[in-house]
Amino acid sequence: MLNAALLKQTVRENAVLWTVLTGVQCLMVFSVAMNAPIAAAGVAYYNLLPGIFAGIYAITVGNRLICAKVDRGTLAYVLATPVRRRAVTTTQAAFFGGSLLAMCALGAAAHCAGAALSSFGLTGADVRTVLELNLGLFLLGWAFAGICFAASCVFNLTKHTIATGGGLVCAFLLLPIMAMFGQNYAFMRHLTIVSLYDVPAIMAHSAGWFWGLVALGMIGAAAGAAGSWAFTRRDLPL
Amino acid sequence: MEHAIEITGLTRDYGQGRGLFDVDLTVAPGEVFGLVGINGAGKTTMIRHLMGFLRSRRGRCRILGGDCWRQAAELKRHIGHIPGEIAFPDVKTGLDFLELQASYTALRDLARADDLAARFDLDVSAPLKRMSKGMKQKTAIVAAFMSGASVLLLDEGSTGLDPLMQKVFTGLVAEEKAKGRTVFMSSHMFDELEAVCDRVAFLKEGRIIEVARIAELGGNEAVKEYKIEFAAAEDYQAFLARRFDLTRRQDQFNQASVRIARADIGALFQALACLDVKFITQVPRTLAAHFAAKYHDTEGAHHA
Repeated sequence: MLNAALLKQTVRENAVLWTVLTGVQCLMVFSVAMNAPIAAAGVAYYNLLPGIFAGIYAITVGNRLICAKVDRGTLAYVLATPVRRRAVTTTQAAFFGGSLLAMCALGAAAHCAGAALSSFGLTGADVRTVLELNLGLFLLGWAFAGICFAASCVFNLTKHTIATGGGLVCAFLLLPIMAMFGQNYAFMRHLTIVSLYDVPAIMAHSAGWFWGLVALGMIGAAAGAAGSWAFTRRDLPL
Repeated sequence: MEHAIEITGLTRDYGQGRGLFDVDLTVAPGEVFGLVGINGAGKTTMIRHLMGFLRSRRGRCRILGGDCWRQAAELKRHIGHIPGEIAFPDVKTGLDFLELQASYTALRDLARADDLAARFDLDVSAPLKRMSKGMKQKTAIVAAFMSGASVLLLDEGSTGLDPLMQKVFTGLVAEEKAKGRTVFMSSHMFDELEAVCDRVAFLKEGRIIEVARIAELGGNEAVKEYKIEFAAAEDYQAFLARRFDLTRRQDQFNQASVRIARADIGALFQALACLDVKFITQVPRTLAAHFAAKYHDTEGAHHA
């Protein structure tokens, strides 16, 4: 159900943003790994920054994949050919998921490389921790991507997609920060899906974190599938 | 197959009288069908339904026997399309765009695209962002015609072209017709529609008020217009006194134009028999005049 021509075009359109975000993320994690052992770097780094990177990527690319093409009218030239709407959403979603996975895989590789080259060294347990942290990061990004993709499939205008999908993702990212402002705000931690990515639990190898990641995966898949379903049934002002 | 395009009871109500209402239309295979109407009459909405971009709320559209909504993707193997608003994907040059479109349709041979580009004097290597409106339109025309589609849906396909290129465009449509292809085109240019169309539908406020057969416009009308010049001013004044349905008078030339129903032609010639007529000629009924008359007729009926 993937369309090779569309996939190629989508890769071309998003290559610069992906490269910049991945490059910056890799440089940062590499630098962190050179200066702190994985056990310390994990909580400090993965708790905040990569989620923001994933959020920026999800909001920007999510809008570009469907809604911006409807808004600008360029999708008319895709749908004027024998490409099904379902193939459009499947192809775009595959790119979205694949590019996020590649981003996290390279981040994990950079983290391991930094640790291996540092004086702290890299053990087998460290590799496992880094992989688990990045799997979680991928699934958090996947959930963000699903939400933004759904908004992109439903709306005709970029401003509505950004306001809805982007607004939700920003809220999810800001709520844990708000929760840090005292006991009265602590409940906000439970209002965000970011809490399902339990970095301290992953670092401590304690139980429970796995199911949080499963939930993130399901949120992303369900939102993406719902968006795709809506896109194949709605009118397009092309 | 009886019809290349079949629209039955198509209704799409956007509110405030906008949209399409109970549109019934058929286009035969190999026919060139024109669609004309003022802005907002519903031309683009109709083409969007045919392209499967919009789902009809009532009624249905079929192309080559296939449902335009449910079989949208399959039908695109046989359809060439020029959208009303051209927005190219994010590629550098016209050639990149044409190659991208060819890859979607699995078209390997771009010889036809080269030929079309040459006819339209289009440099496909030019960056899309720097192209003028006319160049973009030419690129869109090449993309629509390059695959040899059997049905062409053209939403104001010649907009932005200079008069010379408009002629190339009408020539191209005529060529496609000669090859047996079906063309469904909307336009604001009556000359263009008259030159290539077999029939033209007049769309007003989402309703088809008339489908005119172009071949029947040039002489078979029930009411014709005649232009008469008299040798002397006295004869001219005498003619004016007869109270025919004057459409135009040019006193300085002793010329008058009158509308005469077929049944009243005898009365006209009787009146002219005793006057010194310099010349009399029938004013051909153009599509524009036909449209204007129909438009005013429906306006009159509306206000009555």
